[in-house]
Amino acid sequence: MHGRDAHATNSGDDPMKNKQTSHQFARRTFLRGLGVSMALPWMESLRVWGDEPRGNQASSEAPVRLAVLFSGNGFHSKEWWAKGEGKQMELGKVLAPLHDFRGKMNFVRGLFNEEARKGNIHSSQTGNLLSGAPLASGGEIRSGTSVDQLLAQSYGRSTKVPSLVLGCEKSNPSVHKNYSMLYSSHISWSSPTTPTPLEIYPALAFDRLFKDEVSRGDSSVLDSIMTDATDLRQNISVGDRRKLDEYLESVRDVEQRIENAGKKGELQGWRPTLAKPNMPRPADGIPQNIAEHMRLMADIMVLGFQTDTTRITTLKLNNDHSALRFPNLGVDYMIHHLLSHSDSADWLKVNTFFVEQVAYIARRLDAIQEGPRTLLDNTMLMYCSSMMTGNHNNDQLPVIMLGGGGGRIKGGRVIDYSGKPERQMCRLYLSMMDKMNVRLKNFGDAKEPLGEI
Amino acid sequence: MVSEYCLKCHSTKRQKGDLDLEVFSSLAQVKKHPKIWQAVWEQLGDGEMPPKDKPQPSAEQKLGLMKSVRSMLDAIAMERAGDPGQVVIRRLSNAEYTYTLRDLTGIDSLVPAKEFPVDGAAGEGFTNTGQALVMSPTLVTKYLDAGKSVASHMVLLPDGIRFSSKITRRDWTNETLAEIRDFYARFSSAEGGDKVNLQGIAFSTNEGGRLPLEKYLEAAIVLRDGGKDLKQLAQERNLSAKYLGLLVTLLNGSEPSPLLNHLRNVWRTAKPGDSVAMAAEVAQWQRMLWKFGSVGHIGKAGGPKAWMEPITPLVAQQEFKLKLAAPANGNEIAVYLAAGDAGDGSVGDTVVWQQPRVLIPGRPALLLRDVRDFVREMKGRKVGPQVGREKAPEAKIGEPEWGLDPRMFGKHPNGEAMEPVNLCVQAPSVVEIRLPADLFAGAELVTTGALDQKTGIDGSVQLQVLTVKPDPKSGLILGAVSVERGNVPWTSDNRIVLNSMPIIANAGSAAYKRLQLAFDEFRRVFPPALCYTKIVPVDEVVTLTLLYREDDHLAELVLDDAQKAKLDRLWDELRFVSQDALTLVDAFEQIWQFATQDADPKVFEPMRKPIADRAAAFRQKLIDCEPKHVEAVVEFASRAYRRPLTASETNGLRVLYRKFREQEQSHEDAIRLLLARVLVSPGFLYRAETPGAGVAQVPVSDWELATRLSYFLWSSEPDAELRAVAASGKLREPEVLAAQTRRMMGDARVRRLATEFACQWIHIYDFDTLDEKSERHFPTFGGLRDAMYEESIQFFTDFFQHNRSVLGVLDADFTFLNQSLANHYGIPGVTGPQWRRVEGIKKYSRGGILGQATTLAKQSGASRTSPILRGNWVAEVLLGDKLPKPPKDVPRLPEDESTEGLTMRQLTEKHTSDPRCAGCHKRIDSFGFALEGFDAIGRRREKDLGNRPIDTRSKAMDGTELVDIDGLRGYLLTKRRDAYLRQFCKKLLGYSLGRAVQLSDEPLLKDIRTKLAAGDYRVQIAIDMIVQSRQFREIRGRDVALDE
Repeated sequence: MHGRDAHATNSGDDPMKNKQTSHQFARRTFLRGLGVSMALPWMESLRVWGDEPRGNQASSEAPVRLAVLFSGNGFHSKEWWAKGEGKQMELGKVLAPLHDFRGKMNFVRGLFNEEARKGNIHSSQTGNLLSGAPLASGGEIRSGTSVDQLLAQSYGRSTKVPSLVLGCEKSNPSVHKNYSMLYSSHISWSSPTTPTPLEIYPALAFDRLFKDEVSRGDSSVLDSIMTDATDLRQNISVGDRRKLDEYLESVRDVEQRIENAGKKGELQGWRPTLAKPNMPRPADGIPQNIAEHMRLMADIMVLGFQTDTTRITTLKLNNDHSALRFPNLGVDYMIHHLLSHSDSADWLKVNTFFVEQVAYIARRLDAIQEGPRTLLDNTMLMYCSSMMTGNHNNDQLPVIMLGGGGGRIKGGRVIDYSGKPERQMCRLYLSMMDKMNVRLKNFGDAKEPLGEI
Repeated sequence: MVSEYCLKCHSTKRQKGDLDLEVFSSLAQVKKHPKIWQAVWEQLGDGEMPPKDKPQPSAEQKLGLMKSVRSMLDAIAMERAGDPGQVVIRRLSNAEYTYTLRDLTGIDSLVPAKEFPVDGAAGEGFTNTGQALVMSPTLVTKYLDAGKSVASHMVLLPDGIRFSSKITRRDWTNETLAEIRDFYARFSSAEGGDKVNLQGIAFSTNEGGRLPLEKYLEAAIVLRDGGKDLKQLAQERNLSAKYLGLLVTLLNGSEPSPLLNHLRNVWRTAKPGDSVAMAAEVAQWQRMLWKFGSVGHIGKAGGPKAWMEPITPLVAQQEFKLKLAAPANGNEIAVYLAAGDAGDGSVGDTVVWQQPRVLIPGRPALLLRDVRDFVREMKGRKVGPQVGREKAPEAKIGEPEWGLDPRMFGKHPNGEAMEPVNLCVQAPSVVEIRLPADLFAGAELVTTGALDQKTGIDGSVQLQVLTVKPDPKSGLILGAVSVERGNVPWTSDNRIVLNSMPIIANAGSAAYKRLQLAFDEFRRVFPPALCYTKIVPVDEVVTLTLLYREDDHLAELVLDDAQKAKLDRLWDELRFVSQDALTLVDAFEQIWQFATQDADPKVFEPMRKPIADRAAAFRQKLIDCEPKHVEAVVEFASRAYRRPLTASETNGLRVLYRKFREQEQSHEDAIRLLLARVLVSPGFLYRAETPGAGVAQVPVSDWELATRLSYFLWSSEPDAELRAVAASGKLREPEVLAAQTRRMMGDARVRRLATEFACQWIHIYDFDTLDEKSERHFPTFGGLRDAMYEESIQFFTDFFQHNRSVLGVLDADFTFLNQSLANHYGIPGVTGPQWRRVEGIKKYSRGGILGQATTLAKQSGASRTSPILRGNWVAEVLLGDKLPKPPKDVPRLPEDESTEGLTMRQLTEKHTSDPRCAGCHKRIDSFGFALEGFDAIGRRREKDLGNRPIDTRSKAMDGTELVDIDGLRGYLLTKRRDAYLRQFCKKLLGYSLGRAVQLSDEPLLKDIRTKLAAGDYRVQIAIDMIVQSRQFREIRGRDVALDE
């Protein structure tokens, strides 16, 4: 539980009271409970619906995968658009690389994230993108558990790696405009106070999926430090205990992973099309060339899905307020963030480069046949940004969806929510969770999924 | 007023922006939520609220409201002053983790967090803030891997553990070897050595470890006349007092010694510099009395016993063979048979030259006795009838007499007859023989010299056969020594030492014993080498001597007890780390097999048992040391956790070790994993603090305070001194705390405060990895960014370490440069890559952080400057101005300063003339315009990349003219001084506490500013006041409700 929630329970005269207070409390308890129930024995009684992932059950159907791709600073103001239906769909120049996938793509217009409009610019527009939660300012760190991590903590637990959180740009350690830049570097949050660390080293991301060797004694080490942590927990303040619980949960999680490492091959029914990685472990370090870096991360994402090592991946192609340059495109004179304040041909070139990465992933997923459908058909791939264009405008967000969500999402549409009351991003997340058989009463500022998805 | 202008939106009903101001009906309510009222005050001040399109209060009303809110807030602040605040438990940041591990292990090359996710910042914008320091399963795995990696640097020692930058046994062995060699080198010199060639590789086998005798003799000359204290002199000259004393006593000695008499005489009258000749004399003796053996053969049958073995140049008889060469001119070859008294008088020195004879190629041997007759005959002279030997033929006047008078032979000097072909003389004696070259050139003179077995039993002589007349002086004569190599199998030592001037004495005679004693004494004080510094012998290709220790002379003559113990410990470590005792077991078998092929392996037989015994003893030792390693890790854990361990923690570690062993892990694997476990435990990774019961704030414990202090100033664990003070329970005493603070501020580790605090504060952290500049526009940037970062770090290190003025951060007229950065800045007279302090840089438009390449480049674009970024940086970062949020649809800016028709400044002005932007940009752009004299990588410029002239004049919001960096700096230091100081103190306090500064900190911040102004703005004042503050020293009570 967090302070704000505790506060909300007892003060009728609370000046910061949110309209959704009571729901929020229930939801936070739920989220927290979900996070903790896997970890802390003393919280085990808090079992909730959604805790029993369907994915564990024998099924002959391939599972649904979730991929969230993100790039910061929005897109070219004139060239992010789509109109028409199916194969007749016309695309703006930014989206041109997705031409081949028009039939499996939905262009979603008009969605927005209310809480992201409240703070300042950049970091406060990003840290709650996948949760719709209010962000704490003034040097505090508080958002909400993001949709991908919520799914990782339930649906994701039937695979070896619950979720993969990848990035291609290291995060920025500062506080900008009264908001920690942690927000602009993290869309995935394991808990309201824990941004999920991004892996930006391709080799380590690969290891995360496939390194199986467990050293002798590791379990004993983890056991032993758990004892330390529970002892330590007795002597510290209530607030600190919450922070230390992050540690306890993490250690327990690693312990379970080690325990599970020996239990492979027990799944019945559906089998992934690939048992072992079909690419070599990438070289250590970070590739000099950003294109190569993104390509490797994309390959690892695909490999994780194809081998069913993980079903949930987020990939931040860059940060919001990004400092990437693109010598590979001949655009080295300006960093991504400042480029976004122009509307130049080079900005368009950079945008297109990002969408090419999305198209590359879609193409690779679509080339893998899983029974009657391709892996792309079994995937929900969402690509979005923190703002519409580089001038910080987030009255609506740029969103495209690729893939069929296991045959449950029809593609080839332009769906426009502009001006509609149900245009919350969180509704889209409820829809996405639904495709993974996780159904919540509410999420963020939404209570209903989007009917169209 | 509030109800009129605020409550329309911020009512309990509407709660616009989630804000309800209606509930604040009493001061008690306000006290509960001071943050809200702080925000109200700020938003009023910034003109953000009420919104522009809503009814506005009059200026007077607004001022009045702000004043009353302020006084309410001030009252709350005073009431709560010193509140430690809610500080979230801090995981070590990546930087702290790295520094701490470096300090724990002493290895500065460790980069354990290299592949960790970058830490976030929170609080006042620093990465040491608990909220931003997250944990995740992935991170736990990374910590475990990093812990194991650090553990791989651990070296197990016979008495504990140490850490090495290397991770192989071979490297660790080399480190200990180097340490022992360094130890040896402190006492010995590296000269000497015989060159040998082993299968084409040349080595000096016995160089090094030499007794630096010249220096000692020179000191002995100084001491001879008294007036100088021996110990003091030894210390001045870096000599061993022990050996110097020994030497002086020896030189002062009076008992006669054939070896020392001369040396003592020289010393008694020696002048400074005579030590060279004295040392040379000793060296000659050393060559006679010592032999350097082949270390690789030690221990084998027939092998040497040691590297340096004594040799005794005493023989019963000596063979001579002398080739007779033709003289350069004339026809006379002179040969001398010389017999000296060996320095102990001539009593009993009767010498017999046995059968001296000449061997002429193609002829039978010619006795020396018969030479004279032979010559006469050969010269065709008439020789009278042979009447007997008594009647020697006379030489003619003017003719040289060749050979010797035959009557000299066969006769003892006392007249008794003896072997007729022998020549008997009483030493000292020189017999001169002249031979005609035409007959004898190319011939060989052969004889054996010995003492007469009747009258010379107790004698001692030295014999020579020479072609130059020897100096007739009495005394022991130094001969020449040579080493030859015999032709023997590789398994045997092949050195043979030859001495040209042994002493002839009969074994067991009084003279023999006397000389032996004299040699022994000399050897004892004058060993040529003190120690075998090579340790690893290279004098044989194949050897069973892996590590060889010979330093008994060093121990006996030079070292005191403590030094001896240290040396023994090092050797113990070397044996332990190298495990040579175990290696030898296999090596022995291999060599044995090897030797059966082309040599006799039996020479190795004597080594079999010792090697087996040592290996067995070593295995036992390994077992005996195991508990020591466990205890060493337990002790390490206490340092790592920065406090004494609890009983349960100590026990936990021991139990875990046993568990590993029960899992059949080797001791070494187990102990490494145990260390890794320490490094992944919460005690190490988190800075946990125990609050007091109830709601009252209480001082943190001494250990916690020490940790707060060391992480504030050093970003690392408390060092030994701080730990000792913490253990003594005195750190809480204000003067003790202040003394420690000052000591630590003077330490080089304060560089980390410069990096972690200052560089984060001014947003140049990790500047050395900044990858935001266009290579096309700025090809030199990549090569300079390390130097740029180093300048700023050194600048701030100097600032803290030397207690400089906080205003100097902006105003200093010096900086730190190397040549490449000075060139970049256009500052002349700085040559070479080394860093130095450079004064008087304001005349080059530098000085303070405004003129440093780091800040100028960081707040620029990839290919152009950005007055907006720079101006915003000055306003927000340096002055702490709060700027309203920019509109959501800001107009677009061009990208490249060379391609547009306008300068960056003109473009910016155009851009910000939009009325929605102008309000803020008036506050920030003027600062940026003043810095337009610097390009996007911090070079001075007159024109921009499009060759348009630069205009650095601008006007601040209040109308002050700002021209260039000097104008901006002056403005900040005068009109905005208080804002700057406030911002500096606020950031420093926030950094020190690991949280955002809160209302209750205001009184402290105000106090600090007052004291700074009264104290020349020295930064130490701020540091001291923070460290002594209640917020720094205390912790909130356990039951205090959490802040919202």
